[in-house]
Amino acid sequence: MADHLLEVDDLTMYFHTRDGVVKAVDGVSYTLDKGETLGVVGESGSGKSVTALTMMGLIQMPPGKVEKGDAKFKGRSLITMKPEELRKIRGNEMAMIFQDPMTSLNPVYRVGHQVAEPLVIHKGLSKSEAATRAVELLRLVGIPNPEDRAKDYPHQFSGGMRQRAMIAMALACDPDVLIADEPTTALDVTIQAQIIELMQELQQRTGSAIIMITHDLGVVADMADRILVMYAGRPAEYGKTDEVFYHPLHPYTWGLMDSIPTHNLVEKSELCPIKGQPPSLVNVPSGCAFHPRCPYATDRCKSEIPAFRIIEGTHGAACHYAGDPDFVRACAVGVDE
Amino acid sequence: MAEHDHKRPHDESRLVQEHGVRDSRSGLPAVPPITEEVQHLHGDIAAGRTLWGDAWRRLRRNRLALVALAWLLIVLVSALTADLWVGKVFGDPKTTNSALAMKNQYLEPSLTHPIGTDDFGRDVLGRVIYGARASLMVGVAAVGISVIIGLLLGALAGFYPGVVDALIMRATDIFLAFPYILFCILILAMLPPTVRGIGPVILSIGLLGWPSFARLFRGSVLSVKENDYVDAGRAIGASDARLMFRHILPNAIAPIIVYATMSVGGAILTEAALSYLGLGIQPPEISWGRMLNEGSRLIMSHPSLAFWPGLAIICTVVAFTLLGDGLRDALDVKMKD
Repeated sequence: MADHLLEVDDLTMYFHTRDGVVKAVDGVSYTLDKGETLGVVGESGSGKSVTALTMMGLIQMPPGKVEKGDAKFKGRSLITMKPEELRKIRGNEMAMIFQDPMTSLNPVYRVGHQVAEPLVIHKGLSKSEAATRAVELLRLVGIPNPEDRAKDYPHQFSGGMRQRAMIAMALACDPDVLIADEPTTALDVTIQAQIIELMQELQQRTGSAIIMITHDLGVVADMADRILVMYAGRPAEYGKTDEVFYHPLHPYTWGLMDSIPTHNLVEKSELCPIKGQPPSLVNVPSGCAFHPRCPYATDRCKSEIPAFRIIEGTHGAACHYAGDPDFVRACAVGVDE
Repeated sequence: MAEHDHKRPHDESRLVQEHGVRDSRSGLPAVPPITEEVQHLHGDIAAGRTLWGDAWRRLRRNRLALVALAWLLIVLVSALTADLWVGKVFGDPKTTNSALAMKNQYLEPSLTHPIGTDDFGRDVLGRVIYGARASLMVGVAAVGISVIIGLLLGALAGFYPGVVDALIMRATDIFLAFPYILFCILILAMLPPTVRGIGPVILSIGLLGWPSFARLFRGSVLSVKENDYVDAGRAIGASDARLMFRHILPNAIAPIIVYATMSVGGAILTEAALSYLGLGIQPPEISWGRMLNEGSRLIMSHPSLAFWPGLAIICTVVAFTLLGDGLRDALDVKMKD
């Protein structure tokens, strides 16, 4: 079993706050192999980022606490590992790109210095060696004139440039796993496409595995090998990208698909958002967390928490009716009317 | 290193640099080609636009702060070089030679003695210049001690919430509760007269002044700690010490610089008060406070003997306050033009 690069098994992490227990991550499992890309999709507050941050040891404990489950990286548990050992993995074997490149670079240091920092920390490179390498990295991520731009400060970089620099920083130590936490959310649409393109290209070159966290199914559609759909801290659906896209099992995934704007230029079609708000993680609805917003919910959904079931191969969902052809037919009729 | 080079052939990176990565979706180059115009713009912005460079540029626009800075430089330079020329120009400022006293006592201002002489026939201007040495020394050294203690404790308290924070902040509260100058008087009065002098004055002011710095820096660290770039630093595997001193401190130091500058004036005042009470600088050493003390006995007949050191104190304290004020405006990023 230890042959997976990263193996998350029933990971459960709650925040114990004054207002109650926030069930931020509730029984998440997945595996990631070398060179693979996993897309983690869900609305804001569905626990996608927190799952990654928990593995990286970037959650303050307390208030956070891993209740059960484990995350193994190359066979070693990231959860029980000493903080100092985990620190040596962070930025070295596992790196992370954050959502907002505008605030993720330290304003008082030159960009080159920051890109070089992981090399100084983990590889013991001297300042000048690391600086040379930082210029190479900046060139690699498509920053023009990297020799000059390395001497710039972050406020002299545009948003897209900064995210490129963040990617360069994350790639500095040639990580096995790159976690990208909504890397394109804060960027213009045209820049988004460039960044995705860049990440794909770099993945082919370096063979890193990528965990792409996003709320945009479109972003992961042609990038991910597998997709994990999360809702209220729980996995809703997990499977190969094609399976999830062409045979979605969970009504929540259906909803996500419907809420992608289509490029229909001839006819105006109605945008179908999922009604309602994501639930508060302090008061997760009884039964299936999605039932208050699910148009097809039954009484069973209100009382019984659906277990995650594999329907076919590795493709599974946490819905009582997943894979039930009668249910799907009934729903399809309902929608047509 | 060699491995990296192998993975990323030279041609490819040149391709990226010269033509930009082609984006498959839009067909546009992922990196905009750099025209001469744009490059010129980059060069212009890049010219010394550092955070501190910006601050200096803003400070230079503040007339009052510049006047204050100029005054402080004059005081500092004349104090530092006093040994070289004051004795030759104005005569020995510390002499108690009674023959000289008889001859030169209470001379009116003249070319040789610009602001007259005192009861021992010593030149008052020469004594004021010598007095600046003790006053500046006490101001800078005492505040230096306070800043060092305050920074360390404030950093610990801000960085490690919970027990550490609570302990340090309670200790700070206790120290803040003592009436500052009374406590100094108490400490110095308990010392035997033989060890009184500049050292104990510096220590007592410095060791009692840190609580404000600790509290200020803690608040600053708490707010800077929330920034994404601190999380990003943690994510590249930076140790706690590196995070604190490399990532947080440079961004949190500005209020400390401002407050320290203003505090130097306060420390000079405290020294003057202590010396005036006879607990500070002891004769034949000269400080402005000491001169006030001696001048006060003759205030009815020769008020100028107390006036000049008093004026020096006021000017210097106000200068430090104005400079601190200017620094606050200059270092405030929110006021960026």
